[in-house]
Amino acid sequence: MTLKASQACAACKYQRRRCSSDCPLAPYFPADQPRLFQNAHKLFGRSNILSIIKPLDAERRAEAMRSIIYEANIRDRYPVHGCLGVVCQLQYQIWQVEAELRAAQAQLDMYRQMYYQQQLSTVAADDVPSQLELGMALPYIDALSLLHNNNTNDDDDAVASYSYNSYSSLYMDARDVWVEDTHAANNNNGSRRDCDEMHPFFDTVDDRQSYVDSKEAYESSSEESLKDTTQSIEHVGENELKTAAACFTLTSFFFFLQ
Amino acid sequence: MASSSYSNAPCAACKCLRRKCMPDCVFAPYFPPEEPQKFVNVHKIFGASNVSKLLNEVLPHQREDAVNSLAYEAEARLKDPVYGCVGAISVLQRQVMRLQRELDATNADLIRYACNEMPPQFGARSDTNEQNSGFYFPSQWNNNNDGSHEGGESSSM
Repeated sequence: MTLKASQACAACKYQRRRCSSDCPLAPYFPADQPRLFQNAHKLFGRSNILSIIKPLDAERRAEAMRSIIYEANIRDRYPVHGCLGVVCQLQYQIWQVEAELRAAQAQLDMYRQMYYQQQLSTVAADDVPSQLELGMALPYIDALSLLHNNNTNDDDDAVASYSYNSYSSLYMDARDVWVEDTHAANNNNGSRRDCDEMHPFFDTVDDRQSYVDSKEAYESSSEESLKDTTQSIEHVGENELKTAAACFTLTSFFFFLQ
Repeated sequence: MASSSYSNAPCAACKCLRRKCMPDCVFAPYFPPEEPQKFVNVHKIFGASNVSKLLNEVLPHQREDAVNSLAYEAEARLKDPVYGCVGAISVLQRQVMRLQRELDATNADLIRYACNEMPPQFGARSDTNEQNSGFYFPSQWNNNNDGSHEGGESSSM
């Protein structure tokens, strides 16, 4: 018996049926959105939709209807590839972002190594041999104490290596989760072949271009960082000259006495 | 009795539907008799008449792709009657988001190094915390059900 107070659902309206109060499709196909049922009916058909949702409980039935409607709308938008095209597009995006992430991490590792080498070189600037080479040696006792104090950077290296390992493990966890969860996509070998065939589909996307751009940025930024490092070393050298000049007269006096 | 035009074995579709496989059968090129399960799945989820209409609406050189995508969706729906292939889409979208967050964080560290600043400790960074509130549906789903997909920044489809 049709409810006069409420309009017939989009499904019954489309098929010109009487929309009963217990119409199973009424909750999912409101009358003001006829396109939803048209797409779903075009792809699945009313009877197939009902056979899919019939064995499900109310909550899962709602989720299933949402996925059916989504799948039908995707098929309406992309009649040839449908949801498989979306899956392949996302997989390609993942591959692209992963490549960018690897490049960025490699660059970050390089910067990290340069940073810690800079730290080491800053401490090494206080070594006696380097000062002797520059002709500005400190008094003998102070040189010995400086040599003993050089062995304090092992902890920093350990922290750096631990941080690198923990970050790389997080990256590996993301990949493992994807492998576990996409069993639906991975179990279908045909889909993988289709995805491979669809790679020429994305001719407009030039991932080489993006990589080249990042590479150029890498080169320019590395040059700048080298320049900054050089400037900092020169700055330290100037300071050393000034302080060593004051000690030079004392040192030459001691040698004279001996 | 068999004429030369009927000497070929019936396609998987006609075999399943128990009908004579005509020379102009729309299913024959895409459902070979060696893969009966492919048509069985497609027929169970979508129905032969719907598949036939879909194939007639696309260009001939696109029909193989259309059939393969239908076969994929049908198999996914049979394995997961609730979410079908949409489940895989959701997982992949989350993966893209996660990787993008990691990339953004790495780029931020690179900028700090380029500016000669010490990057923060990796343990303090909280970008690995996911908003893992269960199954993730595309945001467009919740806003409007027109099925507009936004799986990436641009769609080349």
